[in-house]
Amino acid sequence: MPDWRERVRERLQATDAFSCREEVVEEIAIHLIEVYDAARASGLPEAQAVEVTLQEVGDWHDLARKISHAKSREQSVNYRTRSFWLPTLITLSGASFSLLVIQSMGIEPHLVWIDLRHLVSPPSVLYGRINMTFYWPWLASLPFFGALGAYLSGRSHASTRSRLVTGLSPALIMLVVMCVILPIALAIDGFSLFRLAVFGVWGLMNWVAIPAIALLLGTLPWLHRSDAARA
Amino acid sequence: MTRRIRSQITRGSGELAILSLLAEQPLYGFEIARQIGERTNGALRFTLASLYPLLYEMEKRGWVEGRWQANEAGRDRRYYHLTSSGRKQLAPLRQEWRAFFQALDSLAGVSHA
Repeated sequence: MPDWRERVRERLQATDAFSCREEVVEEIAIHLIEVYDAARASGLPEAQAVEVTLQEVGDWHDLARKISHAKSREQSVNYRTRSFWLPTLITLSGASFSLLVIQSMGIEPHLVWIDLRHLVSPPSVLYGRINMTFYWPWLASLPFFGALGAYLSGRSHASTRSRLVTGLSPALIMLVVMCVILPIALAIDGFSLFRLAVFGVWGLMNWVAIPAIALLLGTLPWLHRSDAARA
Repeated sequence: MTRRIRSQITRGSGELAILSLLAEQPLYGFEIARQIGERTNGALRFTLASLYPLLYEMEKRGWVEGRWQANEAGRDRRYYHLTSSGRKQLAPLRQEWRAFFQALDSLAGVSHA
């Protein structure tokens, strides 16, 4: 059987007129699969079944133009809100609220000190040690929020990239915050490469990389929905 | 008949057909096309190219709403549901078409019944 999704994506996106989302590609491909299956079930050989299926479309450029026209900007904004912004907001709020609750319950983070004094020349008491901060209960909740974001995004048939970004959004937001805070902090404290490395690595590990791994654990199963379920 | 008039009649009949079907139950695109063809004995036929632009246009107007759901076989399909706004369109559309057929009938002896 031809890969109808790939064919629809290629044909529609090859036309300048097409400006719609993956959701449309998916719906059109599913329709073609149904037509093809019906043609095959009626006893047509594969080549003829493909021909009958393609007759449903006729002119790809014309179809792309009509769909783009029917799907106005408003529709496209609605889709983006439903498939990306809303799931991202829910994921972000959930992860933040979870941290807030854990902190308000008085649960202390688990600190692991890493001694860097042997790396510093000359040895510095001030920057010789950094701590890794593990809020275990919060980290344990993150796979759930990652999964929730990717699921909500996937439910609107968002692309794999959108689902991934939605699932990882709390960590990505922290990355943006770090990129803003770090230069400001260095400007206030005085710039040094060592300080940049220590604070940068500390911030990235504690608030970006480790939470991102936890979020990814929940996000991964929702990135690739089974084609069997879709077709 | 000019192409424009023919296109408007086709479009109008398509809207009425889709709204009438969805008033009975939510359906996905392929099923809408199949049922229209079957229930009109092939007199009305929707290809993919004629169906989806119309569905998307109706969705934009708020008459129908597409939602991804699994069908009986557990496969994801985009089911179109009639909205309250779409339901309100049904009666006037039916009235318009009734008047249209009556007018044609009185003029050319073409009955819709």
